[in-house]
Formats: sequence, C-alpha cells, structure tokens
Amino acid sequence: MSQQADRYSQQNPNPMPARNIPKPPETIEYICGDCGAKTAMKTSELIRCRECGHRVMYKPRTTRIVSLHRAAMD
Amino acid sequence: MPPARAPPKRATAAAAGSSSSSAPAPRTRAVKAGPSGGPDVKPRIGTSSAAKGKAPLRPSITVSTTDKKPEINKGEEEWAELMRQTYGSQKGADWYAKGVKSVEDKWELLPAFLKVKGLVKQHLDSFNYFVNVDIKAILAANSHVISDINPYYYIRYLDIRVGQPARHDTNQVANVLTPMECRLTDSTYSAPIFVDIEYQGEEKKNRQRGVQIGMLPVMLRSDLCHLKNKNEQELARMGECPMDPGGYFVVKGTEKVILVQEQLSKNRIIVMRDPKKDETTAEVTSSTHDRVVKTYVTTKNKRLYLRHNSFKEYIPIVIALKAMGITSDKEILQLICGSDERYQEAFGVSLEEAAKEKTFTRRQALEWIGARVSPNQAKDDGGSYGQKLTPVDIAQQALAAMVLGHVPVRNMNFRPKCIYLATMSRRVLMAMIDEHMVDDRDYVGNKRLELAGQLLSLLFEDSFKTFNSELKRRMDKILEKKQRAGPFDAGSLIRQGGDPITSAFVRSISTGNWSLKRFHVERAGVTHVLSRLSFIAALGMMTRISSQFEKTRKVSGPRALQPSQWGMLCPSDTPEGEACGLVKNLALMTHITTDVPEEPLLKIAFLLGVEDISLLTGNELYRPGVHLVQVNGTLIGVTHLAKKFVRTFRKLRRAGRTSEFVSIYINHHQRTIYIASDGGRICRPMIIVENGKSRVTSQHMKLLKEGKVTFDHFLRSGLVEYLDVNEENDSFIACYESEIVKETTHLEIEPFTILGAVAGLIPYPHHNQSPRNTYQCAMGKQAIGAIAYNQLNRIDTLLYLMTYPQQPMVKTKTIELVGYNKLPAGQNATVAVMSYSGYDIEDALILNRASVDRGFGRCHVLKKQTIPMRTFANGSHERTAYPDPLPRPDAYAFIDRADGMTAPGATINQFDVMIHRETPIDTRGPSADGGGYKPSPITHKLPEPIQIDKVMITEGEDGSLIKILTRQTRRPELGDKFSSRHGQKGVCGLIVPQADMPFNDQGIVPDIIMNPHGFPSRMTVGKMIELLSGKAGVLAGKLQYGTAFGGSKVVDMSQILIENGFSYAGKDMLTSGITGQPMEAYVYFGPIYYQKLKHMVMDKMHARPTGPRANLTRQPTEGRSKDGGLRLGEMERDCLIGYGATQLLLERLMVSSDAFETQVCETCGMLGYNNWCPKCKSGKGVIGLTIPYAAKLLIQELMGMNIMPKLCMEDTV
Repeated sequence: MSQQADRYSQQNPNPMPARNIPKPPETIEYICGDCGAKTAMKTSELIRCRECGHRVMYKPRTTRIVSLHRAAMD
Repeated sequence: MPPARAPPKRATAAAAGSSSSSAPAPRTRAVKAGPSGGPDVKPRIGTSSAAKGKAPLRPSITVSTTDKKPEINKGEEEWAELMRQTYGSQKGADWYAKGVKSVEDKWELLPAFLKVKGLVKQHLDSFNYFVNVDIKAILAANSHVISDINPYYYIRYLDIRVGQPARHDTNQVANVLTPMECRLTDSTYSAPIFVDIEYQGEEKKNRQRGVQIGMLPVMLRSDLCHLKNKNEQELARMGECPMDPGGYFVVKGTEKVILVQEQLSKNRIIVMRDPKKDETTAEVTSSTHDRVVKTYVTTKNKRLYLRHNSFKEYIPIVIALKAMGITSDKEILQLICGSDERYQEAFGVSLEEAAKEKTFTRRQALEWIGARVSPNQAKDDGGSYGQKLTPVDIAQQALAAMVLGHVPVRNMNFRPKCIYLATMSRRVLMAMIDEHMVDDRDYVGNKRLELAGQLLSLLFEDSFKTFNSELKRRMDKILEKKQRAGPFDAGSLIRQGGDPITSAFVRSISTGNWSLKRFHVERAGVTHVLSRLSFIAALGMMTRISSQFEKTRKVSGPRALQPSQWGMLCPSDTPEGEACGLVKNLALMTHITTDVPEEPLLKIAFLLGVEDISLLTGNELYRPGVHLVQVNGTLIGVTHLAKKFVRTFRKLRRAGRTSEFVSIYINHHQRTIYIASDGGRICRPMIIVENGKSRVTSQHMKLLKEGKVTFDHFLRSGLVEYLDVNEENDSFIACYESEIVKETTHLEIEPFTILGAVAGLIPYPHHNQSPRNTYQCAMGKQAIGAIAYNQLNRIDTLLYLMTYPQQPMVKTKTIELVGYNKLPAGQNATVAVMSYSGYDIEDALILNRASVDRGFGRCHVLKKQTIPMRTFANGSHERTAYPDPLPRPDAYAFIDRADGMTAPGATINQFDVMIHRETPIDTRGPSADGGGYKPSPITHKLPEPIQIDKVMITEGEDGSLIKILTRQTRRPELGDKFSSRHGQKGVCGLIVPQADMPFNDQGIVPDIIMNPHGFPSRMTVGKMIELLSGKAGVLAGKLQYGTAFGGSKVVDMSQILIENGFSYAGKDMLTSGITGQPMEAYVYFGPIYYQKLKHMVMDKMHARPTGPRANLTRQPTEGRSKDGGLRLGEMERDCLIGYGATQLLLERLMVSSDAFETQVCETCGMLGYNNWCPKCKSGKGVIGLTIPYAAKLLIQELMGMNIMPKLCMEDTV
C-alpha cells in the first residue's frame, strides 16, 4: 500500500494537496449476503454474520483509486 | 361420437367439487405370492404391468398429488350455470347449435394450461410422484430387517417421509436452506429422509419416530422445495428468479438436470420382420422389479420358436406351451389361431414339430426344456438351495421367473403366461401372413419417457437395500456378543455407519453415472449441467429428450421426423450433426404421464361388460366381432361391443371417474382394445368436439379470460381432455374450427403448439425453409442476453450478459408465454439489406460505429474463480495473508493488508495477484503451526485486464471457500458473431463511422448492413416479413406478432407503412454516406431482432512465436489455454508435398517443432551418444544428425518392445 502511495506522489509532484486516501483498516468489515450487516472478521475466524448467522459474506468495495494510467502504461 | 346424450348432471357434480384426481378407489393391492420356490417377480418402478409388485400401499396414502383442485371460487357458480345450460336436458343440443360460430380465443387455453402444467411440470410431477408415492412403496417392499443371528430381534419400517431442505446446524432460528445459498456455498440442496421404525427391544417392542436415514437432493419448485407456491416478492427475498422454471437439482453448488430419457415401451409386444432372412419376431422386454429380460417368439423355417437367454436353443412354441400346462394340441391351436384357417395352416408345421420331438405330456415337455436350460441359468436357480434340482424343476423355474417375467405366475398357475405367449405367437403369425402387421419401433406411441423421479426411485431402492443389508450386518454384530453393554437400540444403530443413501444420490447426480449392479443398470451421462448461457438455453434443456440409441448407428429410422410426433415433440428443435434426430424436445403443450393404479381400471372394464380371460377358451377369443381388451399390455378379457365399450369408457374418463391420463383406443387390425395407464406416455390436451360442434364455446373462454375459472374446470367438465399418441391415432382431429365435419372428435387448441419453447421464438417460422428454423433453435441457445432476474447475484463459472437487452419488436405468443420478452437476448437493429464495401461477403455484417458506441451488442463477461482453502491431514490448512516483503509490488497493488485478497472494483492486469494464498510446507508432519508457509498466489492469466466484481467468502461443506467473480465489458469488434432469429448468422466484417453509412430522407441510419446474397439460397422469407412487421410496429408504436401459422398479416403491415408515408414494400430510398448521392436502387430497410452469440474474437484470438512445449514429445503444446502452437496438419502437409516444397516441410515439421540432435552408428544403425555406439562398443561409425524428437521417441519405444529399428544412412546430394 505504502509503496503505491509513494509512487503516486512521485509521479505527480504537483501543487495539489496530497489526496488523503483512507488507509484500509487492519480488519475488514465484510457484508452479509443475507441481511447486509457488516461484520469485522479475521481470516482465521469462522465466517458467519454476527447479526443473522448467514454464512455467505462479501468483501466491500475497494477504497483504492483505480488509476487509468496504470492500465494504459501496461 | 353419437349425438349429445346429455350426460346426467355431470357438470354440477364437478362443480360441487369432486375432483377428478382423488376419485379412484383406495389403493389397496393384493400381495401376490411369488412362484413357489422361484424368485419373487416384481415389476420395477416406473414400469407397468399387471403385477404391481410393490408391497401394498396403505390406503391412507393419497394417490395423486399432481393435480390439486383449483382454488378459485368466485367463478364457480357462473361456471356451474354455464354447464347447466350446456348439458341441461331441455335445451341440450339446441343450445349448442345456436352456440357462437367460432371460438376465436381458444388459444387462451394455452396460458391456462401452462399455468397448471408449466413447461417443466413433467419433471416436477415425476419427482413429486417419487417423493409422495413411490418412496413409500419401496419402503413397504423392504420394510423388514431381521437378524440372522437371533430372529427374535427385528427392525420394521412403518412410514417414510421427506422433510424440507434445512441447514445442518439446528440451533439457528431461520433454518430454511435456500437454493441460492447452496449455489453460492457449493453445497447440496437436499432434504432429510425420515423413517418411523418399530423394533424388538429386550422385553417389549419399541417405536421411534423420525429417524433420519439420509438426505435426498430436492428438485427445485417441487412439493418439497421452499420455492413452491411463492410469489415474486418472496422469491426475490430468497434470491430466486420468478422466471426460473425449476425442475433441476443443486448438487455441490452446480445445477444439474436429469434429462428425459426415451425408451421403447416395456412389457409390450413389438413385432418386427427381417425380410432378408424371412424371419418374423415378436419381442417383449419384460421389466420387473429385479431383472430386465427380453423374450422373443421368432420364426425359423416357418415354424414358431420361443427364444430366451435362459435357454441354449430355440424352444418350439408348442413345447413351451405344453410345458406350461396346455397339453392339448387343439387348445393350443385355438389359443393361437382361433378358427381362422389361414393361421391354422401356417401354424400346422409348428404343431408337427412338437410331435416329432415326441413331447406329448407336460412332463415330457418340461424334461425337453430342462435339458436345454443354459448352464448359468441352472446354476443361478439351483445354487441358493444347495440341492440339485431335477431338469423338470429347472425348466419350471425358468419358465415361471425368466420367460415373460412381467406376467405373474401365482401358485404355479401358468394360464396367464400361456395366453400371453399365445398372443405373441398369434401376432407373429399375423405378420407372417400379412407383412403390414408389423409394429413401427419409431412410432411415438411405442415409446415411453423416463423422468427424474423414476431414475431417482431406482437409485433410492438400490441404496436403501444396501443400507438395510449394512444395518443387518451391524445388528448381527451386536447380537453376536453374549454380553451386551446396553439394550438393543435400533435408532442409534441406524445412525451409525456411513451415509450410503446420501452419498449415492450425490454421487450419481453429480457424475451422471447410474451404476446399479442390483438392477443391471449401467448408464452414463444421465445428468447434465444446466446451461445458463441464456434463459432460453436453460428452458430448452428442461424440455430436452435424449434417446437411448447409440449415435454411431447409421440407421435413419430413429432420427427421422415421425408423423406421430405431431404436437408432442418439436419438429424443429434438434441438434445438427451426430445427435441429429436422437435428441428431441417436447412441444409446448405436452405432458408426460405418471403411473396410475390399474386396479380401478380393471374394475371399470369388468363393470362395462368385459368377460374375464381366465373363463374363456381359445375358441371364444377370436370369434368375429369379439375384441380383446388389454390393460397395460396384459390381456384381461374380451368384449362383444367394442365401440360401445370404448365410448362409455371415454365418457367415464371425461366425467372424472378415472384419471384423465388413462388412454383407451381400438386397434382394428389386431381387433384389440388397449387401455394404458402407465407412466411415461406423452400426451396433450385437446378440445372435445361432439355433433360437429366444439364443446368449448366463447362463453367458456370469457369466464377463463376473466380469470374466474382455470384449465382444470375445462378438464373436469369434459370440455377438454388429454390424448396420448395412441389415442390420437384413434381420433379424428380438426386443426381449425372451420375444418370440423360430422365425424370430427377433437379440435386442436392451437396449431402453433406443435413447436417447442425454443422454436417458438422464431417469428413467422412457417415462412422459412425448415432447416433454417432448426439452425435458429441451436443458435437461440447461444445468444447473449438476460439470464434471470437474479443474474447479478449469481456466481457462475461463466456468464454472458447483454448490457442493454431489448424485447423483440416482432414477438410471438410463445415468447410471451415463456417470458422471453422479460428476459430477452438480443436487440432490435435497424437493418439495411444492401451491399456495402467488400467486407460483407460470406454473410459478414457491417456495423455502425455510432450504434456500437451507444451500446449495440455490448455485453458483460463474468467469470468465476473458486479457491477452496484446503485442510490437510495433520490439521494444518491453507490461509490468505499479506506477504512481507512484497515479491512484486505492482502485482499486489490491490491486495488488502488485512486479508490478502483483492476487493471489488479493482482492475487486475495480466499476472496480477487476486488472492495471496499460502500453503503449509509441512502437510503430513505431526503438528501444523510450527512449519512455515509457502506462497501459492492466484493470479490473473489472460492478457486482457479484468475488473473484480465480487469477492465472496463462505464456509462450505469442507472448509472455507473463496469465490472471486471477475467482469469484463466488451463492445462488438471485428469478428464477433451475430445472428437474426432465422438461422442467418454472420460475423462483423467492418465497423463503419456513422458518417459513411447510408441514410434515408428522415436521417435514419442503419445499425447493421446485411448483404442481400443471404436471402436467395436460404429462403428465409420469415426474416423479410419480420422486417416488414417490425417497421410497421415501429411506425404504429406497438409490437407486432409473428406467431407460427398466424401473426400479423403482410397486407396489414403494408397498410400501416403506407399510412405512415412509407413504401408498402418496406423499401426506402437511401443516400450514400460516402458520395452523398442517392442510391440507385431502393433498399429493404427496417428493424430485425439481432442476437449476439457467445463466440467472440477476444476469446479465440491466439498466436505465438515460440512458447511452451509438451514434455513427452517436445513438440509445441496444443490449444490457446496452454499458449499452444498452430498446427500444420496432415492436409496442409499433403499440399506442401504436392507442391514439392521440401525445405518448407522440413522447417515446419522438424526445425521449428521438435528438432533433436542425436547420433547414429552407421555400422549397426542404432542410436548412439557421446560419440559412442553401445552395440558396436566403439565410436567408429558414429555420426551426428538431426531428427524429430518424436522419431527418436518412436525408435526407443520400439526398442522397448524388442523391435530393433535401424537407421540406414545415405549421403545427401
């Protein structure tokens, strides 16, 4: 993560203030496939919604900026 | 049909609520004793025979749950009033006569039919029959488990029932297991099977209720399924699509369909003739509970013989009959020939033969046969008793149990079997004398369809027997011990041991292999994965019928279109190529019957004056004017008033006194009345016509349209009835109301129902050349479109979705009925039929760039990657993690530190990591955590970047499971395949800027330019009419119909065009976009519905310079997925040889492929190495040369087989 941020600032040494990208938390809150509630889980834990006990959980959308440059560069 | 007899108050009775289905008498059956000493002969499930061998069902079991009484009440009185008018005594026929001229809206019966029967109803009915009826019969037949060690102890099953699918952990509140959850978690949608047991405890008998013996996969939308009778909101809440037909299973997360299997009907006589050998054969496949055997009566030198696997040679028919107890020649002659002299003459030689063999008494005949029973058979029979049987006993055994096994022999009463054998012989004689009397094996009436329920019940019976024998073994093991720890507890005993029933179901359905040793069933490919390419593909799969014929046989008979499949099987929908004509599809209005008990039918038949066969002599059977009566293939008696009998029987059926699916018809050639109630017959509803008037009138249709009555009202009021193929043949059916004449008995509900669901999508198919419709049936299943309402929640291995699907401008009634307008697969493209540049030859299409930019033909491709987290034997398991330090920072840009996985929204390029998985290094050692982990990341392999659409984690049946759904949005590009709905496919040849496209005076620019050369040879006039109707529809602002044998008329369409200032012919004046000048000709111009097919260039494009090679041959690998080379095949090689391009050949086949430097000894011709020949033990003659590695491999492999190939060297010039 940090590396990408570095790269980003290096490539854009413009006067714009650095975009404050929210740092992803250490645990991720997964979204329940049934009730939509969020449950923070570690990978080692049992996968289960804290609210309804449903066992299908989805990862929330990424907070990272998808750079179109990168795709173009590759 | 005679004039209306005004059946007494039938209608009021029906309205009062006597539902047709629950009418039959209680289903108690007599248990029949097996032939003494012989194996108990029982019919197998799903087959029909006189002897239903399953143990008696208790009367409490309701017979038919397939048809519920309609629950609409508001129309009940009105309907009853209408019925009184129709049948009322004083008005009666009069009222009929003045009845409305034509029933225009009679097609409205079709949606009403589909509401109660649906397209997949046959699957559901079959499964429901298994769960509600058959499973109980199987249990009753295998209800006792008695210990061999101590017969005092026993377990007896009292009842069985299947619950509803529920999650395994019972502590949950909401315990409902939905199919969607099973799909996502790769688990099985199955319900527990419970039994009630009674067993002998130490002192008293104990009872236990609800002991689980296994899990049964549940068919979606069946009685057991949670989706049954749910409305749209409830279905949406469960993540299910209301348009989904159901009828399939979810096993280990994949949707599996058990295809309908077509077979020759069992337990029926089929007479065949081989003109080359001058042989006539009657064949019966007796399918009983424990074996399937074939019995033949065949001719050799004009004599009749019985042929059967149990006998080493042909048994003269007279000897066989004598062995079965008919010793008088006269009686034999009468039973077979009656008093007809032609038959008697033909049979004389057979009688003589028996006399020549000196068999006159029963004992002599049995001895004669006993000496010819095949050794295996004798061993089978004698072995179990450990004593040597006399030949007489062996012969009796074989005749009782093996020959014509489905005809019961009770207490050694061979009489029914004798009569059956005599009937077969008579049929052979008839075919000998008149060769038109043979049966057609391809006739649909001689076929039976086997459905999921029957296959499952076979499987259940097999695994239940295994379960019981294992249970018995465990029981014996406990009872063996003198001192037992606790009291004998059957309940816990059942719970012990593996789960043979569950695993048998899951294994068979997921692999498709039905391997049941017990029943000699060995079938592969029974189940298929439900194709979700498009909605139509899934629907088409549910109506598919696969045939048991092997595909390699070069006979055309089974593949040909049979006239008898009219209305039952779709004439258009069959694949091309090897399975052509062998894989069929059901037509829109068909229904497949399930077994109906035949005891009530026998009762009715005897009440209607049938004389019992056992009271008759042969002489009385074949008198003129006498008709035989057969029920499900067994002769039950004769009647003198055949027509009246059939007529009355039909009236009873129409009044609901028997099941509506019982069929009765007269075969005038055989002078036999056949009554059939067995399962697997195809039938369809038809309007009853009496006195040249349709019984259904506009009044009835009005009530139906107002939603006050349902299809069942029509059925039980005798306005509509089901006919199977055989009875259809005995009816006079009018296609249209105007064609009704005095003799007409029935009226088609709607002609377009002869097509199936897939062919029904084609507009104006009756204007197309027939193969074009067949091509479209294949292509409609490849079209990209909307799949289901829950398509975005599904995580399928591969899913194509159209971004902006449209419903077709020209639709059909079928489209509305199956819901294709709600889940369409295609777009209405404005087409100009003209030539443009040279990039439109060979069916290529020109696309408008602006249309493509606006989203024409744009689609999503969703792919799934499943990553199971494996757990190893020592308790260690795989995990996801964030590596530190990062091996390739770029590839890990979207991996989260918290869980080592990407998240939705990320863009992933080639070789980027999606999941950083780590596998324990030590998977066998004692403990897990000490050892390290090695990374085994999941990367993206294809060159095109993809988006992550979903990352799902769940707890599967074994360990946790990660599923990643990736997405790609594709716009049409050069080479993508498109097709109209008329079997006219083409690839995109050029994408042209809008400015260069032609335009009309209103500035309308086509989306697609199609070359007119596509029309003359294909003769797809339907496509032209579609364009015309579509154009008229656009101008009038409404959708037009292109229903088969109907639809919007061309004159009307032309009128609309004229009214809107267009040419009546659909042609427009266009201006060239390139030159700006008007075109020289008018151009046929208008909307046609175009489908984008799944074949896209992006998935196929492939080239490589050098790359991976196969290990064994060192030649380049094969296939795009392995980055393989492009093969220069045999035929290309032939071209180069013919041209003489030797150096090019050498380069292609060796240098650029698998050149290998090796050494050969010139003296001995063997391969050498390191300048050394191992055979000559010298390095003298060793020279180097280059050969293909494959050649070197061949030499070595030959040497491995003790063959010494030598290479003889020659100087190259």
